[in-house]
Amino acid sequence: MNNIIKEFVDNVTAKFELMGVDYPADLQVSLDFDQRDIHNALAYIKGAGWTQMSLLTCVDWIADNEFQLVFILFNWKNGVRLQVRTRIDRDKPVFTTITNIYPGAQYYERDVHEFFGVEFEGNPDSYKQLFLENWDDIPPLRKDFDAIAYSDRKYPARKYKANFSTEAGESK
Amino acid sequence: MITIIISILIALGILVFAFLWQTTLSGITRKIVGRYQKRYGPRFYQNFRDIFKALSKRGITHGWVYSFGVIMAVGGIMATVMFLPLFGIVPFPGVDNFFIYVYLFAVGMLGMAMSAVGSGNPLAGIGVMRALTQMVGYEVPFMIVVLAMIYGHGTSSLSELAAIQQTSGFLSWNLVKMPIGTIVGFICLLGMLGKKPFETFIAPAEIASGPMVEYGGKQLGMLMIMHELATFIEISLFVNLFLGGATPIVFGETTVLVGLSSVVGFLLKYSIVYIVSALISNALGRFKIDQVIKYFYKVPIVLAIIQALIVVFLGWGV
Amino acid sequence: MSKKERAVAKRKKKWDGISNFFRANSIWMLMYCTGCCAIELPQAMTSKYDMERLGMGPMATPRQADVILVTGYLSVKTLRRVIYAYEQMGEPKYLVAFGPCTINGGIYYDAHPVIKSLDQYLPIDVYIAGCMPKPEAVMNGFQDLIDMIKRKEANGWRKYQENKEWYRENQIHALGELRIKDEFHE
Repeated sequence: MNNIIKEFVDNVTAKFELMGVDYPADLQVSLDFDQRDIHNALAYIKGAGWTQMSLLTCVDWIADNEFQLVFILFNWKNGVRLQVRTRIDRDKPVFTTITNIYPGAQYYERDVHEFFGVEFEGNPDSYKQLFLENWDDIPPLRKDFDAIAYSDRKYPARKYKANFSTEAGESK
Repeated sequence: MITIIISILIALGILVFAFLWQTTLSGITRKIVGRYQKRYGPRFYQNFRDIFKALSKRGITHGWVYSFGVIMAVGGIMATVMFLPLFGIVPFPGVDNFFIYVYLFAVGMLGMAMSAVGSGNPLAGIGVMRALTQMVGYEVPFMIVVLAMIYGHGTSSLSELAAIQQTSGFLSWNLVKMPIGTIVGFICLLGMLGKKPFETFIAPAEIASGPMVEYGGKQLGMLMIMHELATFIEISLFVNLFLGGATPIVFGETTVLVGLSSVVGFLLKYSIVYIVSALISNALGRFKIDQVIKYFYKVPIVLAIIQALIVVFLGWGV
Repeated sequence: MSKKERAVAKRKKKWDGISNFFRANSIWMLMYCTGCCAIELPQAMTSKYDMERLGMGPMATPRQADVILVTGYLSVKTLRRVIYAYEQMGEPKYLVAFGPCTINGGIYYDAHPVIKSLDQYLPIDVYIAGCMPKPEAVMNGFQDLIDMIKRKEANGWRKYQENKEWYRENQIHALGELRIKDEFHE
């Protein structure tokens, strides 16, 4: 099995400019690409047998001012899971859609657009609301979003006559 | 004039008895099913509580077709019950032909279908479509068997068909004379009652109780009354056609005792048929609608045709 | 109050007393199972605790139901649907809320899509305590509801009618707009 993974990684390295390879666990490989290479790389990987797109999600690296898009792909022939990762600019989060390669990414792109504000060019449906209805703030899973302040503003808390909340260990 | 008034009074009495008896019996059956599932079960008069509670709630309407259809459904079924002979008493002598029940019953069912579609909910439309499709499935084998029976006995009057079976005790029942036909009749009865292998048009988990999806309050209460009465008609037809109707369980010279025991005999047969169908319903899963039609046009129809051929050409079971 | 009005009120009261007997002993539930407390309902319904002996049973649609069970936290998206379902139910109607999430948000007090106290948006007749409430607590809550109906104290639906503007204002504040606008309703 390791030979197959090694051979595959070698093939990918020969074809594309890899920014990093990691082996987080058995049968798992993570590959970092530049964002320009990602569509060609995904097309190649799909041709190599990774036909199922399990997840497309996003990570907010606020210190680096970058978003990281993570595509998790699965191969039903040998059970190897791939994490294909790329980083995009956080100030101008625009990416080209991958629905022409993996049509199943349709809803994930809507999801990522809703929770991180990443725009997917070429996917007109990605602007439709999916989970959050009538959202009126910055996308909620960005690190600079203050959930408690939003919750307090939007949903009034119950007012108690006595203060029941005490610090741990302290008794009243 | 007086005879007409007496007839109407008898018919009203049958109506009231049918409602009270069937509602109590469904309550008892709920209790039996509860015990069957190792539960305690509700009180035996729970169904009365349900019906009166539903009638006491505030209803809404979705237009006059919706409201009128409910009244048409209840009225049609009530009219059918009033023509039904009970314990050998015929309210309107001469008009207890089997086909009267078939046609009058359809009025009530069509009223319900009209009302459900008038509510505008797509699930109600699906439910009505399934109910009518299923009706096409079970009517054909049931009618073949009943027509063969009518051909064999030479009468289509329900009370006469029952009386013929009471001539020589147990052996003259159609259960013994036409066993294959009785099996077909029972399968079709399950389909008519909407019990579980053929529960396609109610299907609470799938199409949210089908035709009933938009009913609440008064209309739902009326439909529950209609459901109890419709159940009474279907099971009475089955008992009268196949199980000998009101046969006495005590024999002797005293007419009163024999008459009373024939009432008990009818109710006993009725209860057994209803409870057995309820137990079957609780032990089985649900067919899909295409499976229901395929099943009815495969097994019962072949059995029904065999039974009809036996009656017509061999003369057995006459 | 004139003599006629008093007679009407008296008759209404009498009729209410009779119908409350039936209402208390025949409660049909609409289970809005979006929260974790819903897992306690199967035990309460089946052979261990047997809810049916109280005359309670599950129903398929809001129109047929008398009581709506809100089992746990409500996100903004589900609150909008609960309001739809609650307003579709025929009167009299009751609402039973499970767990702390419906009281003050519970462990979701700081989550952006989860509302904090449900009684801002819908009237609640019975709270059932516990995270999650045990089946005994669930049965006890239902018994409380039955007693309240008998004592004519389960008047949440009347409160909702009388204070409709206040509830509507709170609903609009949290939801922005009440209408469901997703691709399945277009």
